[in-house]
Amino acid sequence: MNLVRELVAMSTRDRVRAIQDLPMSFQEKKHIRWVLKHTGNKSPCHCYNLTSFRKCGSNVRSARQTLELWQGTMKEIGGKFGTSVLSYFIFLKWLFMFNVFSFLVNFGFITIPQLVIYITHPFFFKGYFNYTVMYYGSYSNETLIGAMDYKMQLGYFFTIAVYMLLCGIALIFSMANSFRKNYVLADSTSSGAWQLLCSWDFSITNERAVRQRKNNLRIQLKESLSEKAQHEQLTSSEKLKHFGIYLGSWLLSTSLTVGCGASIFFLCQYEIKAETLLVPFVVSLMNMVIPLFYSLFNKFEHYSSQRRQIYALVLRNVLFRMCILGVLCYYWMNVVACWESVVGQALYRLVIVDFIFLMLGSFFGEFLSNVVGTRLLPRLGVPEFDVARNVLEIIYAQTLAWIGIYFSPLLPAIQILKFFILFYIKKVSLMHNCQPPRRTGRAAQMKTIFTALLFFPFFLGALSIVGYTTWSLTPSEHCGPFRGLNSTFSVVEVWIKEVEAIPGSKWVVFIYQKVIRSEIFYFLITIIILIIVYIFWQVSQGRKQLIVLLRRQIVNEGKDKSFLLEKLQNLQKSQELKVRLERSTIPGQGLLRTMLTIGTLQRSRRRTVQPPSIVS
Amino acid sequence: MIGFHLCKDFCVLFYFFQDCTFFTRKEMLRLHGRYRELAPHLVPLDYTNGPDIRVPLALIVTMPELKENPFRDRIVETFSEDGEGNQSFNDFVDMFSVLCEASPRELKTIYAFKIYDYNRDNFICKEDLHQTLVKLTKGELSAEEVSLVCDKVIEEADLDGDAKLSFSDFENMISKAPDFLSAFHCNSRLFTVV
Repeated sequence: MNLVRELVAMSTRDRVRAIQDLPMSFQEKKHIRWVLKHTGNKSPCHCYNLTSFRKCGSNVRSARQTLELWQGTMKEIGGKFGTSVLSYFIFLKWLFMFNVFSFLVNFGFITIPQLVIYITHPFFFKGYFNYTVMYYGSYSNETLIGAMDYKMQLGYFFTIAVYMLLCGIALIFSMANSFRKNYVLADSTSSGAWQLLCSWDFSITNERAVRQRKNNLRIQLKESLSEKAQHEQLTSSEKLKHFGIYLGSWLLSTSLTVGCGASIFFLCQYEIKAETLLVPFVVSLMNMVIPLFYSLFNKFEHYSSQRRQIYALVLRNVLFRMCILGVLCYYWMNVVACWESVVGQALYRLVIVDFIFLMLGSFFGEFLSNVVGTRLLPRLGVPEFDVARNVLEIIYAQTLAWIGIYFSPLLPAIQILKFFILFYIKKVSLMHNCQPPRRTGRAAQMKTIFTALLFFPFFLGALSIVGYTTWSLTPSEHCGPFRGLNSTFSVVEVWIKEVEAIPGSKWVVFIYQKVIRSEIFYFLITIIILIIVYIFWQVSQGRKQLIVLLRRQIVNEGKDKSFLLEKLQNLQKSQELKVRLERSTIPGQGLLRTMLTIGTLQRSRRRTVQPPSIVS
Repeated sequence: MIGFHLCKDFCVLFYFFQDCTFFTRKEMLRLHGRYRELAPHLVPLDYTNGPDIRVPLALIVTMPELKENPFRDRIVETFSEDGEGNQSFNDFVDMFSVLCEASPRELKTIYAFKIYDYNRDNFICKEDLHQTLVKLTKGELSAEEVSLVCDKVIEEADLDGDAKLSFSDFENMISKAPDFLSAFHCNSRLFTVV
């Protein structure tokens, strides 16, 4: 058996995996395993070691499963509401983990040394008691002398830098992974084949949810049947009208965005003391109210596909939030006198108020809509869980945390609490107030889009703010770990100068000077990456053409197959006829008929004219 | 808890199970418990002799994981050796193994194809689609609409033009539906520690 030979040649783990993946019944797999056991020449004790190792591995696996956070809740949500709503909760959990990691790292490398300094030098308390360890201002620029010298400056800088780098790498990998698996540039969502065969969610176990799904599927199928008819009916006046509506809503949304940004800017300047909650309150209020306007505009517009509708809405929301954040950051960069802590405090207040508004939003968005929909205006019905809006809200919250990490190292602790409580609030609100989504959305593509959104505008934006702060802005003179330096980044320069003095570390200095500080290096790297991207792009274009050719080939082979089948059938029919004539009971006539038939057949096959050999 | 003789042979059997399915030992024990719950008078506690017991289809589809699924009969039939839906414990384990989250896409695609292929001719023809659609919409579409949808499906998914979907057509369609992997799984509370 080829299969057994293949399996014998693999390593144990691959073999186990291959057997698990076989599409055979359990009996057959057991038989294969038995055959393998008796053909392999493994020694018995080797076998024992492997089984005990695997037992250990499976114990670890089941232990890890029990420790996983919120697993039971997620299964419950997935069972009742399907995978698209579940994707929101999975995304929330993922961001939660980011913050846990950040908190642990910051606490371990920044706060603990600072606390040690406070303990060993108690007289420092007096001067720096203006700010708690929450904010940048209270961190000193001392060096902890111990078994190893721990410089607070370097520790602070590198912790933040390494954390941002790791976040970026994690995001890029996750995005690339999603793209590879899920973002297949395929046919439109409303294709009948996909709806019928692939969209049924086998994991739903709730009777009411199943009934609703069936209902929705029926509605979607009816829509897709009628959509085909609708497409060709748009006249040019209707097209002009639609275009006018698009233009109008884009103008409106842009002007709303610009207006809000300007008002925030003036409000910040008007507010003399930054301790009031006015600015965070107004910002969060705008964040809650303006997206509702955008959803309203969206309803009036007419889009050719549901996906484009969601993209337009998401784009507008993203632009709005980026604008607000941009205005705030621009204002903060121009504050004086221990400005980092001021910014840290402002961000902290923003995070808290945002949390309050998230809870309020849940209340208004879901609870009140439910009440309105069931009691007051039954026509509206029970609300659905708006995944896109909620995801944008948590992306925005995470961006605030990322910007604030430099100015307030313990902000992740607040964020952890915030996300933890938010998870349970959203879960309760979902279970009580919402119905399963009407349209079976493509959850996997949504996950890709969320991750891409998280990375491109928001993470990169936060990274550039922090980068700009560390690179160009002068740290404040009297507080924080970088006091007295020209820029935060000069910490590294100072350190490199010290490292130069240590023998045997020339390579570190070399890397710093020739690689990190030289512009030529980055220029060359950019050129090389652009060339590689261009090559890959051409390869993918070539592959697309190959796919088209192969499809045509499959169609042709199908036609060939049916043509050959037809010929075979004809041949079989003629053979049958021949056999029937041979078996006929009247010999003379039969013989004559046979001879005539043979003659006809021969004539038709060889296209030669032959006189029949026997004529009556 | 589940009480039965965990003698040495059964432990070895567990390792067979572990190697051929995607379950851990704890999950296997729970599966056995659930299997036994379906027909306690039929299924013995002691499995050492590998008794040939089959639980009929009518009892298996009462499980909460399958009860509301419109394809429950087809799923159970596909995973039964006799094709009628009477499952032995091995078939039962097989079914949940393929439907669990750890099983790979290829395996799920193969079994999904078998589930949708009602007449078991290795092709999803128009009648199979007809039956699938009726199961999913429970007769609320008119006959003409059903026929239209089935035609549309075949038109979209059939690559080689033989008016039915072969396994490669089906696989091609599934590869464009990345949600399939997460949708085609059994949300079983078997595997959560409550």
